[in-house]
Amino acid sequence: MDILQLIASGIPAGVMYSLVALCIVLIHNGTNVVHFGYGDQIAFAAYLVVIVQTFGGAPLWVAIVSSIFISAIFGLFIYAAILAPLRRTPLLVQIIATLAIGTALREGMRAFMGPDPWPFPALVTPKIFDLGGVFVTSANIAAVAIAFVITAALFMFFKLSKYGQAIIAACENAKGASIVGISVSKVFAGIWIVASVIAAISAVLMAPVLTLSPEMGLIGIKGFCAAILGGFTSLPGAIVGGILLGLIETAAGYYISTAAKDVVAYSVLIGVVIFRPQGLFGKAQLKKV
Amino acid sequence: MRRSGIALAAAVASTGLWWVSSASADSTGVTDTAIKIGFVGSMTGPAAIWGSGNMAGATLAFEELNAAGGINGRKIEFITVDDETSAPKGIAGFNRLVQSDKVFAVFGPSSSAVGVPMKATMAKSEVPVLIPTFSSPLMTEPPTKNIFRVGTLNDRMQGRGIANYLVDHEKKQKIAILRQSDEYGATGGNAVTERLKELKIAPVANEIFNASDTDFTSQILRVRSANPDAIVVYGYPAASSIITRQLREVGVKADIIGSSATSNQNYPELVGKIGAGTKFVSNLEHLPESDFPAMKKFRESFQKRFPDLARQARPALSDVLGYNGALTMAEAIRRAGKDLTREGYMKALESLDGFSTGIALPAYLSADNREGNTKMYIAIIKDDLTREVLPGAIEAK
Repeated sequence: MDILQLIASGIPAGVMYSLVALCIVLIHNGTNVVHFGYGDQIAFAAYLVVIVQTFGGAPLWVAIVSSIFISAIFGLFIYAAILAPLRRTPLLVQIIATLAIGTALREGMRAFMGPDPWPFPALVTPKIFDLGGVFVTSANIAAVAIAFVITAALFMFFKLSKYGQAIIAACENAKGASIVGISVSKVFAGIWIVASVIAAISAVLMAPVLTLSPEMGLIGIKGFCAAILGGFTSLPGAIVGGILLGLIETAAGYYISTAAKDVVAYSVLIGVVIFRPQGLFGKAQLKKV
Repeated sequence: MRRSGIALAAAVASTGLWWVSSASADSTGVTDTAIKIGFVGSMTGPAAIWGSGNMAGATLAFEELNAAGGINGRKIEFITVDDETSAPKGIAGFNRLVQSDKVFAVFGPSSSAVGVPMKATMAKSEVPVLIPTFSSPLMTEPPTKNIFRVGTLNDRMQGRGIANYLVDHEKKQKIAILRQSDEYGATGGNAVTERLKELKIAPVANEIFNASDTDFTSQILRVRSANPDAIVVYGYPAASSIITRQLREVGVKADIIGSSATSNQNYPELVGKIGAGTKFVSNLEHLPESDFPAMKKFRESFQKRFPDLARQARPALSDVLGYNGALTMAEAIRRAGKDLTREGYMKALESLDGFSTGIALPAYLSADNREGNTKMYIAIIKDDLTREVLPGAIEAK
């Protein structure tokens, strides 16, 4: 029975990584930048909910909508004020800038909201379902369901909509896209806004389960690993990568030793990078000489 | 010849006496009107949970003392350094306080991860250090002449106290341990195991987790398979709260007891209703939110002085221990008298035999003991998510 519980608990744990990986991949696909501060952006959005609800006295849904709205503006700000001016600098500079954004958010939240963890309201009524000895919680079911809805929506958007196609065109060949009339800067700004809105949605799903503290943003590192596992370019790959990482961690801890959990999980990751550098869902990149 | 021999002997003796008196009369950082006290602690980084509280509590205590005329006519000048939860920065900060600012004594640091690597530097400096919060036994066992601790209970004793409570008081036999992978969790968790061994009990499970982990399914399922009747969770608040929730979510009904790191007042809300009944070690007989007169007075002064921290539902344990440590320091400085020297101050600290500030457990220090507190209480999270300290102190030796 424990193996079923391992799966039932490992999947939601992995979905938390998937939600982070999804937007790291989205931003990377769209703008080539790896956003190392994305986890902290999620934590920031969660703090926004607490600020609006606790200090503003607003109902939870108002706080969530406000957080989504402010996050969207913040995403636009990241692009317009930081990454757009840096667009001609080497990629490494832009990546360091995202690290700086993450650290500034984390320490800013610690300074303003204090170092202690904050209680976060549950989005769904906390309930535990006993499925023949396998326990599943309502919060975890909601997280998994919403993660799949977001992925499906993004997937359809890129496959079916004209705007989605424009984004793919701008990503693959910015110069060519601008010649055919696509505003590359608008596309990039759009990607940052979408990723930031998803950060706020993820925040509401994650914070009640992970406990809101300035350190919650460190889940960004796990999200980054999940993205690599999934191939770094594939949105479904990011979801599968996250779930796999969650399951590998859980199984390694249970069957081998909890002390060696990370050693095993990250050895698997290194193995994937060595033997399948394009990840599980990525396409191998061939260069003609 | 004889006369000159006597003169020589007198000169040698007086030189010797001068050396002795200069060593014992080290009054660096003391003037007729002020005493420089240095604070090194974590204002930023993960240990800011404790560092910011230690500084806030101490600031309030020293401001109150200064407003009341100071100690023996001298005002406290409080110089602070942020170690950013980094041991190298803690060492550099300590050296700056001692060498550049030339403080009389040091208060802090606030976490084991920073404090333990600083110990050699502290010992070499011979500057008196008073630790208000962090709980690594390595700081006081064996005792170092210039390093003292009050208020908190060290992790080795805390682990033993938890084992004593579960076996002697609660009559538990099947005990599982879930401990953090770092020095903090290892010291506390291993102390529980050692004490259980002395009581002829082997833990039914002994699992390890990382403080920054967000999922603990594997540890929890291993613990569940062992079918314990009590579970010790020795870790920081965020991880401990997730573990407690996840244990209940997979149907584990055993008693759960956390270390003093989970004794912050917002912990019950972090765990939620599902965690009602969870117990934790309390370093205080009266919690910061209690209406015990001394605590109520402190809470009101604190919230008036730090309205931004009051907004974060403080004072918390670290604020209380910062205030308690600073008042203990002040008492020793007062006892050391008008001719204040480092030696005199350390002797005065050693004379604190049951000294109490009224808000934390009393300090029992002596010439051969640098660990002020050896007792703890057990508190419980009630159904309405308020907290209650259970009666009866537990001897943690």
